[in-house]
Amino acid sequence: MDGLAREALDTAVSRGAGYADSRLLETIREDLVVKDGQLCGLDQSESRGIGVRVLVDGAWGYAATDDLTREGVQACAAHAVAVGKASARVLEGPVRLASEPSHRAVWASSCAVDPFGVPLERKLDLLLRIDGALRGVKGVTIAESFLTFIRKRQRFLSSEGSDIDQTTTRSGGGYAATAVLGDEVQRRSFPQAEGHHQTMGYEFIESVPWVEEAPRVGEEAVALLKADQCPAGEFDVVLEGSQLALQIHESVGHPTELDRVLGLEANYAGTSFLTLNTLGTLRFGSPKVNLVADATLPHGLATFAFDDEGVEAQRWPIVRDGLFVGYLTSRELAHRVGEPRSRGCVRSDGWNHIPMIRMVNLSLMPGSGSLDDLLADTGHGLYMETNRSWSIDQLRYNFQFKTEIAWEIKKGKRVRMLRNPTYQGITTQFWNSCDFVCGPEAWRPWGVVNCGKGQPGQVADMTHGAAPARFRKLRVGAGYSD
Amino acid sequence: MTRDEARAILERAAAPSEGREIEAAIGGGRSELTRFANNEITQNVSERRYALSVRVLRGKRTGRATGNDLSPDGIARLVGRADLAARLSPEIPDLLPLPPAQKYREVDSADAATASLGPDARAREVGRAVGRCKDAGITAAGIYETGSGTIGDYGVTSTLAIANSSGLFAYHDRTNARFSISALDGNASGWASAESHSSRDIDGGAVAARAVEKAIRSRDPERRPPGPYTVVLEPAAVSDLLIDTAWLSFGALPVQEGRSFLSGKLGRKVAGENVTIRDDPYHPLHQGAPFDAEGMPTRAVTIIERGVASSPVYDRQTAAKEGKESTGHSLLPSPNPHGPLAGHLVLEGGSGTIDDLVARVDRGLLVTRVWYTNVVDPMTATLTGMTRDGLFAIEGGKVRGAVRNFRFNQSVVQMLNEVEALSGLERVGGVVCPGLLVRSFHMSSVTEF
Repeated sequence: MDGLAREALDTAVSRGAGYADSRLLETIREDLVVKDGQLCGLDQSESRGIGVRVLVDGAWGYAATDDLTREGVQACAAHAVAVGKASARVLEGPVRLASEPSHRAVWASSCAVDPFGVPLERKLDLLLRIDGALRGVKGVTIAESFLTFIRKRQRFLSSEGSDIDQTTTRSGGGYAATAVLGDEVQRRSFPQAEGHHQTMGYEFIESVPWVEEAPRVGEEAVALLKADQCPAGEFDVVLEGSQLALQIHESVGHPTELDRVLGLEANYAGTSFLTLNTLGTLRFGSPKVNLVADATLPHGLATFAFDDEGVEAQRWPIVRDGLFVGYLTSRELAHRVGEPRSRGCVRSDGWNHIPMIRMVNLSLMPGSGSLDDLLADTGHGLYMETNRSWSIDQLRYNFQFKTEIAWEIKKGKRVRMLRNPTYQGITTQFWNSCDFVCGPEAWRPWGVVNCGKGQPGQVADMTHGAAPARFRKLRVGAGYSD
Repeated sequence: MTRDEARAILERAAAPSEGREIEAAIGGGRSELTRFANNEITQNVSERRYALSVRVLRGKRTGRATGNDLSPDGIARLVGRADLAARLSPEIPDLLPLPPAQKYREVDSADAATASLGPDARAREVGRAVGRCKDAGITAAGIYETGSGTIGDYGVTSTLAIANSSGLFAYHDRTNARFSISALDGNASGWASAESHSSRDIDGGAVAARAVEKAIRSRDPERRPPGPYTVVLEPAAVSDLLIDTAWLSFGALPVQEGRSFLSGKLGRKVAGENVTIRDDPYHPLHQGAPFDAEGMPTRAVTIIERGVASSPVYDRQTAAKEGKESTGHSLLPSPNPHGPLAGHLVLEGGSGTIDDLVARVDRGLLVTRVWYTNVVDPMTATLTGMTRDGLFAIEGGKVRGAVRNFRFNQSVVQMLNEVEALSGLERVGGVVCPGLLVRSFHMSSVTEF
């Protein structure tokens, strides 16, 4: 099999590619879903194929196939070159790649307990116990729980001499209780919306108190049906870590992708307000705000040894003491911000799709103090937890989020449960209003597994670490008050 | 993959055997996409991919395995894995046996010229569009996508062919062509698109001309206050709002679970009398697949008729719960947690153009399209999102200057009760719909451009 990656490379170069790389990738995946007491999905899938990326006459071509015969791979590589030649017909200037040493490496993510070796019965038993605990709560209308396991093994070869073999194992799961009464539909999720995932083996699943938390989750979903509507107006808001993780993703991660900044995503996801002149000059947030990109974060979903164009994993600041200082870059675009080397942010979601700039793990660095300290310091405000919906404009200024639940903070304590909380804002105003970030004891890594980008669309995963933080005078209540 | 090639693979996978039922489905094909930005081609990709999904039923137990090794050994391995999963799974009391052979309507949506369109032809079309933008001093970004088979966006494949051990076999090949362009002038932008099953219907230069006109008009937007506005929604905006509403409300599962605005309201008025919504893959602008992920024939379903809630769409599982027949709208093999989906929406239109709708508005907004919609409240189908790529003031029945983009929070149910007029039909974003003139559309806040 490994000879096919070399065959692809040799064919591309012999056909005229000035640069070529090939990725031979095998993915196995297991999905289990239980809904309302019944197994509702049990799928084991595997996919193998090869993607060939070439530069021909200074232009990109990419072709991918699952025909893993020698002839099939040769035809695929030849087609990649033909596609590249067509690209050169509409080209303003040739692509230049930032230099990167050639690497020869074998790397695997940590995986103490192979999730694919754990018997199906054991996984199903866990889901059925969660399901039973959720449906044991009177008033829960729908209970849904899932486990997902993914292993990817990729062999990357480049015409510059890199030969990298990487294996990544991801485990995750989650559940939600939905309660319906009249025109109210309320939901609580655990550990967060879309579940919780890490680059680990089954030991991650065993470290989470799934069944123990289920009664609370179900009870909160039911209690929300009769909770007071979250008031509208300006409030000081404390955001719990997983909600803040999605806020980081949408309002920091995407606008710092250099391909967006330079207009390459303009037709779909949009561009960015973080234009090149803002680097090193824009007061992105308050001095409490420090954000770090880190492809070496232990157990992160975007943790690897090398990205999908063979660049070594790195860690670097994006926002330092509130100042915007860093982009997410690629070999093609690094020179546009005067950097000699890519930051290693290029990934693809499979052999069939071309690698492009994707967020690596991106986290808000902890400050100090516990959540109780933060609530006590807040006096009066709102505490919001667990994302329910999100939206942001195509330059990443104007956002609106809804969380599953909120509590009124009064005299430094969480007191009254509130339903349907929403908040809205403008990105830089929001981060500049941050005046308290909790400390390392409250900091958690939260996985995002549904990040869409590109044409054709690709789904990427990454981790955002965050501790609860406070934002002053947020506009609350949109969607219910206007 | 031809009908005969698909049949050979599926018959091998779903051969009848003692003590079990087997269903096998193939999805995939070829997908090619030329992407451009900053007036040049920036990505250019080609993908050839097929996947075989095998489901084994043993009484009330079932398991599924999916893979892309279509060799005899690969198929045998998949069947073995699905069988093992079925043996290990707990019993599913509601599990239905596989359906027998079905009859399907003929739908011709495969065009040989589109299937064989190469990167040079796409580059020429892109070149024409980019040239039109450059001539106007505007920057172009967009795509020209063509394909054959069932590879959809985000790598999702729908069913190309399906067979089962009870004698069912269905196959439907198709092609697609889509051109989308954003014309950019700083933060001012315009957008236009064209889509069809045939590349002959794609004129990149004409699509670019529409986007350029929007971009030029979008310069120097004026800031207007948030609040309720009379709006003319172009079909692209209507399409986005309807797709979200279909996921939320038009499938039988959310209706049965009480989380759709149609729940408990069938036979009652839920929208204005000028609103009729159907799901109809046989509409000439759709030419969609005549069967679903279970191999059931897809029927045209009237969801809302002249404002009255008529019927959601069904798969076999949700139909069985009500003693009905499937309407052929299964999204995934059964059982699945998502239920059926109305994937070929038609909102019946009126007559005339967007300009005709604009002429009826004394003071309001023209919305080219919306972006990043998401659900705020499921029971009222309240969505939030942004206007994008061309928001204009309407005054005295004419389109005037550009307006800074708004975030909206709008109930689609309320919107469907506030429709004053509808234009003729277009297909955009996979939906056949008109533009709408809507009173009291809720703009919630202003963004920075």
